[in-house]
Amino acid sequence: MSDRGLRIKDLHVDVAGNHILKGIDLTVEPGRVHALMGPNGSGKSTLAFSLAGHPNYNVTSGTATLDGEDLFALPPDKRAKAGLFLSFQYPAAIPGVKVANFLHAARQAVRPGDLTPAKFRALLMEKLETLDMDPGFLGRYLNDGFSGGEKKRLEMLQLAVLAPKYAILDETDSGLDVDALRAVGESVNALRKSDEGKETGFLIITHYPRILQHIEADVVHVLIDGRLVKEGDAELAHRIEREGYDTLREEIGQLA
Amino acid sequence: MPSAIALASVPPNLERAIAGLDGSLLTAPRRSELLARAFELRSGREKPNRFWKIDLDALDYSAIDVSAAPAPKLQAPSTRGLIVCDLQTAVRDHADLVRRAFGSACDVSASKFAALSAALCNTGAFVYVAADAAPAEPIEITYDAAAALFPYTLVVLERGANCTIVERVRGSAPFVGGISEIVTGEGSAVTYCAVQDLATPSRAVFTRAAKPAKDAAAVLCVAELGAALSVETIEIVTEHPGVDAQINILFFPRSDEHVDVVSTVHHAAGDSQSHTLVKSAATGRGQARYLGNIRIAPHAQATEAALRDDALLLSKRSHIDSVPALEIAANDVKAYHGATVGALDEDQIFYMTSRGIERSDAEKMIALGFFEPVVERFSTKALREEIRAALQAKVSE
Repeated sequence: MSDRGLRIKDLHVDVAGNHILKGIDLTVEPGRVHALMGPNGSGKSTLAFSLAGHPNYNVTSGTATLDGEDLFALPPDKRAKAGLFLSFQYPAAIPGVKVANFLHAARQAVRPGDLTPAKFRALLMEKLETLDMDPGFLGRYLNDGFSGGEKKRLEMLQLAVLAPKYAILDETDSGLDVDALRAVGESVNALRKSDEGKETGFLIITHYPRILQHIEADVVHVLIDGRLVKEGDAELAHRIEREGYDTLREEIGQLA
Repeated sequence: MPSAIALASVPPNLERAIAGLDGSLLTAPRRSELLARAFELRSGREKPNRFWKIDLDALDYSAIDVSAAPAPKLQAPSTRGLIVCDLQTAVRDHADLVRRAFGSACDVSASKFAALSAALCNTGAFVYVAADAAPAEPIEITYDAAAALFPYTLVVLERGANCTIVERVRGSAPFVGGISEIVTGEGSAVTYCAVQDLATPSRAVFTRAAKPAKDAAAVLCVAELGAALSVETIEIVTEHPGVDAQINILFFPRSDEHVDVVSTVHHAAGDSQSHTLVKSAATGRGQARYLGNIRIAPHAQATEAALRDDALLLSKRSHIDSVPALEIAANDVKAYHGATVGALDEDQIFYMTSRGIERSDAEKMIALGFFEPVVERFSTKALREEIRAALQAKVSE
């Protein structure tokens, strides 16, 4: 099927009247890992939020399709049902809603009726173990009073439980210690090895190539000032680590 | 002042009703006196805003027919030292215990609705827990309000006693006026959970009062779930050190319902702590007002008092006025308060919808979750489930 993939074409997005994304063309293919790197303010999170359908992100032109389905014609819940997942950089805390109930509601919404409660429970326990999370997590209120690391682990737990077709990880690595980072990497790799997740395409948004030591990227894209300026293999990420974005900026400036 | 004259006139149907009510605890002259008092006193509750439709000083009582009401349904474990019976039986069989406690924590002549409720008291329950007794199961008191009901629930805990009481008021009576009076002994611990789930046309006024003794713990949990109008007055007065007082309240007016709640913790003595937690929501044209008082007397040093009150507006025409009022006259105390009023948080909704949950379901889950911190303070699982189901029905409207 030629239309498979998370296909973004000439995407322009405004936030609060500011033109942030200035024509993005990017295709995340099933089963592949794309890293999206860029300095602060380059529009990485804007890309993530506009694909997921946040109401404050105004798509002014361009298209995004998920295996052929027009994402921008769908409300956020239907985008998730179509197979899109966004791991939030700053997930919302929702007091009074227990993690277990939320996960169950989300799984039911995305994959209705596919697991008995007992099997769902077993799935949760298995994923918790991969992420080295205490089952006590399930009884806590969603992100309420969670540390930064706990929030990120919970995002990864959701990724594992929902097994989406395409997952965008928005700076899931930021603010994590080495152990948490390894747990995130293991969780993504475990999903990629599983039957449910072997076809999952990833868009991993990050400042730093650190996380790419745990998850091997097939393609690295660089976003600067709302435009994708460079594409390469894992070596590009290492170069950015050594030289920073300024050298890249200069290089692009010279080209232009 | 013409309004004073209007206030002072006792509706003749209420005055006539007194002759038909039991005179063993509250004599006819005492009832008449209290009834007159009820119509002399102002409620002290002004209309909070122009959307609030009901004048609490001018309620219409003309259609209220008061006569002796059936005793409540009572359920209690058999525990040594525990007495649970209807109030009339208690006055007959345990006169000394009743008379010693009655009125010691609640001054019924001090406020309009307490005076009204006492004057017309036509049913009631009595719970007595002897020193160091601790019934393992909660004591359940259920008032089925078929006709006008004025229940008086008197709870007495002796030194070191420990018990949980669940009071339910339900039915479709046009008017309910209730009093819960909680008298506790040194080092005792009481949890009193009250759930009002009257049918839509009912109007209800409740007064709850506790005066914990030294080192006693008193937890009052109140859920106002039904009725066209509910007026709730909750007061804990700490006159001794070592008291741990807790007030948890939830309410949720929908349609044209009005809810008016005043809670007061009066720290008259020091070395005590209190926590007040209130969660409210309103939908449709639902109206509510919450006034949360914390008073710390000049000599009540080393008091710790916290008040937290959050209100959620689920429709454009709903209103909740929320007023925390701290009056602190001592200088060595810790007092905290926080209040919020707002709509559902768009970031919370987006987060849930981004996981495939439909917006309307996400809104319901968030709204129900909002009440959880109070719901989980209610004592039994069955009671919590009952409250959740009632809230669920409201958010699903």
